[in-house]
Amino acid sequence: MFPIQNEMARRTFLQRGGLGTIALTSLFRGNDSAAAASLASGGLHHRPRIKRVIHLYMAGGPSHLETFDYKPEMAKYDGQPMPQSLTEGQPIAQLQGKALKVMAPQHPFARHGKSGLWMSSVFKHTTSLADDICVVKSMHTEQINHDPAHTFFNTGTAISGRPSMGAWVMYGLGAETQELPGFIVLTSEGGGQSQPISSRQWHSGFLPSRYQGVQMHATGNPVHYVGNPAGVGPRQQRDIVDAVSRINTLRNRELDDPEIATRISGYEMAFRMQTSVPELTDMSGEPEHIVKMYGCTPGDGSFGSNCLLARRLAERGVRFIQLYHRGWDHHGGVKAGVAKTASLVDQGTAALVNDLKQRGMLEDTLIVWGGEFGRTPMAQGSGRDHHINGFSLWMAGGGVKAGSTYGATDEFGYNAVENKVHVRDFHATMLHMLGIDHNRFSYKFQGLDFRLTGVEPAHVIHGILDSQT
Amino acid sequence: MIVTSETYRRSSRPTEQLRKLDPYNELFARQGRFRIDAEMVRDNALAISGLLVEQIGGESVKPYQPEDYYAQLNFPRRTYVADQGNDQYRRGVYTHWQRTFLHPMLKAFDAPSREECTAARAKSNTPLQALSLLNDPTFVEAARVFATRIMRESGPSVDQRIEWAYQTTLSRKPETEVANELRQIYDQHLAHYTGKKDEASRLVSEGNASVATDLPAAELAAWTSVARVLLNLHEAMMRY
Repeated sequence: MFPIQNEMARRTFLQRGGLGTIALTSLFRGNDSAAAASLASGGLHHRPRIKRVIHLYMAGGPSHLETFDYKPEMAKYDGQPMPQSLTEGQPIAQLQGKALKVMAPQHPFARHGKSGLWMSSVFKHTTSLADDICVVKSMHTEQINHDPAHTFFNTGTAISGRPSMGAWVMYGLGAETQELPGFIVLTSEGGGQSQPISSRQWHSGFLPSRYQGVQMHATGNPVHYVGNPAGVGPRQQRDIVDAVSRINTLRNRELDDPEIATRISGYEMAFRMQTSVPELTDMSGEPEHIVKMYGCTPGDGSFGSNCLLARRLAERGVRFIQLYHRGWDHHGGVKAGVAKTASLVDQGTAALVNDLKQRGMLEDTLIVWGGEFGRTPMAQGSGRDHHINGFSLWMAGGGVKAGSTYGATDEFGYNAVENKVHVRDFHATMLHMLGIDHNRFSYKFQGLDFRLTGVEPAHVIHGILDSQT
Repeated sequence: MIVTSETYRRSSRPTEQLRKLDPYNELFARQGRFRIDAEMVRDNALAISGLLVEQIGGESVKPYQPEDYYAQLNFPRRTYVADQGNDQYRRGVYTHWQRTFLHPMLKAFDAPSREECTAARAKSNTPLQALSLLNDPTFVEAARVFATRIMRESGPSVDQRIEWAYQTTLSRKPETEVANELRQIYDQHLAHYTGKKDEASRLVSEGNASVATDLPAAELAAWTSVARVLLNLHEAMMRY
């Protein structure tokens, strides 16, 4: 009819959450998966293995060569020039124009568990997970600098403004809680350069804004304005919320505005958060042996404390949890640096997996541990530069082949050469585990059917999943 | 020209038929409806309370902000000190802009983080907005200062005051049922605060604005509750 006007109106409409409103109104009713999913894609596509994702996001780019990718044969090339055949024409970050020399792995590795999984000696606690995790050694990505690489890992593209994977999952499945937002982000830092993390990394992009991640603060008040004003008790606050909602309802007879229903639900959720958020973060009821297991003082802003909080969020029905630890950018002093950063995340990581396991929750949770890229086999002084052609991450939980590895890099840990896993393959696999077919999971925007996995082929990596279904 | 046109002056309420034929209002057979922008949500509350400072231009200013907010800043470390005096009550567009760490209230209402150009802002409708309007000291202070206006500038009876307060907020008289709701919250909270003078005093002294010590605290607190209800209404943040 009027193609241009129509397109503009649709954009405006989508941006104002129009379409989303239909699904979103039900977001606050708890389990809204049917509504949201049918809107997105005609229902969940198959039986899910997991209900939730906890992403332990090792921001900065952990060196795979000092953590999970054992390359003993590199020792004999230490200090030698890298084979040009490998590095020629490849993207490079800060080592541009510099001599490229091999640096042998800086920490010894040992086998752990019944699986005999190789791990570096920087881990003292994660080693206990050797029979729970699947280490993917053949990851590769397309972006070599932190911010675009984070954007790539979170949204599947370096172009900003696209929805993050957590927002996609919320869009598809909704939350299982009426008390808390369904996508929550926490950050901690330490052990290396703390590169910034932008809130763009958990944004909803063109998806309705209600799906964006909510950053809770690791110290102090986790959410702003959850306390009543001075002189206002819970009863008075309840009176205010009730009066607002009743008048909004009365006025809706005249106004006939579906946003009013959302507004009323929003006030209900807000009122409940005033209780649920302090209850969430009041960890005084956690037994001493649990706190000890995480090795933190609850609420101290450490990664360990965030892990404990993540378990509490998972228990309360939060769908997607990201814990960023900023501190893996070891351009210099990679030996001491990796040891230091690992020491800050090691105990919390192991505690979280073991704690979920002992509560029977690991079977419907996916835990992901990894960064936005890896680091070069080549030395940058005493450190390593950013590297995108091969790096490691590990997964654990619901249906992941426990105590296994998948894929491999070459003898220098430079290129992923066997069973390569692209970031979009990771996305496809994660969605698959959640019961979503990435090919059929799209959102119309600006005339295109956008998908988390984009338009290039993405594959569910069945090799990392155990053979159930 | 646009504003005086027949199209512009139409009601934004869709008829059954229009909703079916043109759910997204692509044909402009009715007026559009939208939530006002983040800065205006703030300006609106300050204007209704009488606190708004209408000075144009000048340095950016720092409204009240949660104390520990900047503890989350990536780097460098910064401290935030809220402004005193008139600078506390300036329009939202003058708010100090810490890139990616904009004021939490503005953020909750979809102000962009300024990391990139934003041609059209999102218009979300979230619990975080409710928390801001209910509990951000700026809005509590605006409500309690609005309460002093209600007591001073309108008639002496409760009904007159309710009508004046509603009219001042929404430029329209309240229906009887709406007025009854407001009357109920006034009565309940007057009874409550009459027995809890301490709580009343704490509520009516939120923020830096001078405290109306000449007005009875319990009554002022009860009007503050009425004002909080009004400032939280959906209609108070919508352009219908």
